[in-house]
Amino acid sequence: MKCHSSQNQKPISDEKIKILLMGNPNVGKSVIFSKLTGVHVDSSNYVGTTVDYTIGDVNFGRQQGVMIDVPGVYSLEATSEAEKVAVSLLEEGADVIICVLDATHLERNLDLAYQLKEYPIPIVYSLNLVDVAKRQGINIDAKKLSEELGAPVIPTVAIKNTGLMDLLRTSMKLAKEERIPRPKLTEEERWKKIKDIVAKVQTKVDSGPTFIEILEDKTIQPWPGIPLALLVLIISLGVVIGGGKALRALVLLPLVRDVIQPFLTNLVSLVVPPGIFRNLLVGDYGILIIGIEWPFALILPYVFLFYIVFSFLEDSGYMPRIGVLADGLLRRIGIQGGNIIPIMLGYGCAVPAILGSRVANTYKERIIVAALVSFAVPCASQSAAFMSLLGDRSILALASVYLLSILVALLVGIIINKMVPGKSQPMLLEVPNLLWPDKDAFKKKLKLRMKNFLIDAEGPMLLGIVIASVIAETGILNEFSRLIGPLVEGWLGLPKEASLSLLLGIMRRELAVLPLLELNLTTLQLIVGSVIALFYLPCLSVFAVLAKEFSLKVALLIGLATTTSAFLFGGIINQLGRLILGVM
Amino acid sequence: MTLAFGNKRAKYRVLKLPDSHFLKALGLRKGTEFTLECKHPFKGPVVVKVGCRCIAIDYDIARDIEVEEVS
Ligand SMILES: Nc1nc2c(ncn2[C@@H]2O[C@H](COP(=O)(O)OP(=O)(O)OP(=O)(O)O)[C@@H](O)[C@H]2O)c(=O)[nH]1
Ligand SMILES: [Mg+2]
Repeated sequence: MKCHSSQNQKPISDEKIKILLMGNPNVGKSVIFSKLTGVHVDSSNYVGTTVDYTIGDVNFGRQQGVMIDVPGVYSLEATSEAEKVAVSLLEEGADVIICVLDATHLERNLDLAYQLKEYPIPIVYSLNLVDVAKRQGINIDAKKLSEELGAPVIPTVAIKNTGLMDLLRTSMKLAKEERIPRPKLTEEERWKKIKDIVAKVQTKVDSGPTFIEILEDKTIQPWPGIPLALLVLIISLGVVIGGGKALRALVLLPLVRDVIQPFLTNLVSLVVPPGIFRNLLVGDYGILIIGIEWPFALILPYVFLFYIVFSFLEDSGYMPRIGVLADGLLRRIGIQGGNIIPIMLGYGCAVPAILGSRVANTYKERIIVAALVSFAVPCASQSAAFMSLLGDRSILALASVYLLSILVALLVGIIINKMVPGKSQPMLLEVPNLLWPDKDAFKKKLKLRMKNFLIDAEGPMLLGIVIASVIAETGILNEFSRLIGPLVEGWLGLPKEASLSLLLGIMRRELAVLPLLELNLTTLQLIVGSVIALFYLPCLSVFAVLAKEFSLKVALLIGLATTTSAFLFGGIINQLGRLILGVM
Repeated sequence: MTLAFGNKRAKYRVLKLPDSHFLKALGLRKGTEFTLECKHPFKGPVVVKVGCRCIAIDYDIARDIEVEEVS
């Protein structure tokens, strides 16, 4: 998978107007950026979505410009990674800064606004999220604020595209003007000034708590927050598992099996004479048969529903609340609660999860999160494969595989926490407002995620299937199976054809599961196979990202540890299971 | 008294706090008044409300924040 950090190093030509988009975290910078440049960047309702900067072109009339989406920061102290990036961008210089202010938290936002004024760059203020402010009964006089700040203030609702053109026009205009930096204020002076300004420009009507405010309150308390979180989790699982099963059984499988596959088989039979080549295309492991059935009928429905549910939770602002609720538990494994977000991201794909762990400031926490995710968090594709494999046969087996994954995750955390020196970072986090996700933004995000999935997953999956059909149809598989037969048949109790899983699983996680579908396994064998697949090697992309973010050594170590435990746990479960079944 | 020992729903004023820029940036400074929203069990975070925003503060940090109750 590509990560978005690699695309931003293109040089900026000099005659273009350079616009820096800055502001506190989670104020809508990335939304503004996406709308104005057409370059999609991730935006979510929690702090730290953007950890690196992205550049995009913006044109207004004949004026050309480039815009830079700077990571959100609370101050310019350059203590965190994001702050360092922001400060270095500022020091490189720019023609104009768009400073995005969150209208619901004006006071805190003005702190950064004032620090930015110390740079010799003209500023335009975007007073964003005015829709949410209005809902909360907050009214800000933009004109007065503009007088106080000595710079234009433009009210915007980024997700509705309101005010953005005005913002762009104003910044292009201002870019031509000289600007003298304001003298540096001390912290005390700054705060006093900000307090004065807020008192002057902001009015608030208190109309009693709205439903959302009550919800905001309840979801952060241990009671009823924790049961509510469990309920949300159960509902989410229900939607994904139940909905996925329905989609698959009612729509996709009939379509693929009764329409597409017979059609392709007939077509190929007309053109290709019987023999190895026809088998390669439409045999049992035929490229056109499983090449369509696996990714589209088995994996896609679950992945699709997973991302619907996940994106909803992400944009609603609910995730950081789970982080606060889970803090007490996650501390035991050496990480603070906020890391629940990258971990949950890992249930989609481990690559963004590991990249997202950058928000965790200490190396120790990053390693723990990365190891947890590579070890015991099945990605969406793999989960889909588990559901196809186990969901129809035994929900109990499915549940026990997931239970085991959580137990092992905790164990891994405890062990690494002991092994790696260092401390976790204390939690200090602003809990975002709960927002009803915006329809357009949501659709766009979902579309992008599905596109990424199709591009990133479909290619390797097809390649895997091609390899599978070649080695299955040519007899290479038999050789390999004989070679590792003792391990697979003896210790793991699986038929020797299961070695195909081990071969393909190197490439992608779900490919370690799917070959088992065709084997008519007993429930015990299914569980053993799933457990092996769960812990087996993280996929190639994950391996690459581990090597890049940490080091090759770390990647190899994690790979070795996961594979060893795969065979260890798989074998133990097989031996124990036989013992118990034998006794009964 | 320190924030870690505060009571739910009570109002407090900050007397003394560790010199962390992040705390200040979040609006917690000497003299700030806030409401303690809730405390999470097992030394989990303390959630406070400053103005209309919610901040979750680590138990270890809360132990270092000196507060007094305001009525
Ligand atoms: N209702 C409403 N929601 C908005 C508005 N602008 C942004 N949002 C939402 O606010 C959340 C944060 O937006 P982002 O663009 O990710 O924020 P950011 O400033 O880039 O955040 P970081 O990258 O973490 O610094 C998203 O869920 C957006 O959909 C707005 O004007 N109105
Ligand atoms: Mg962003």
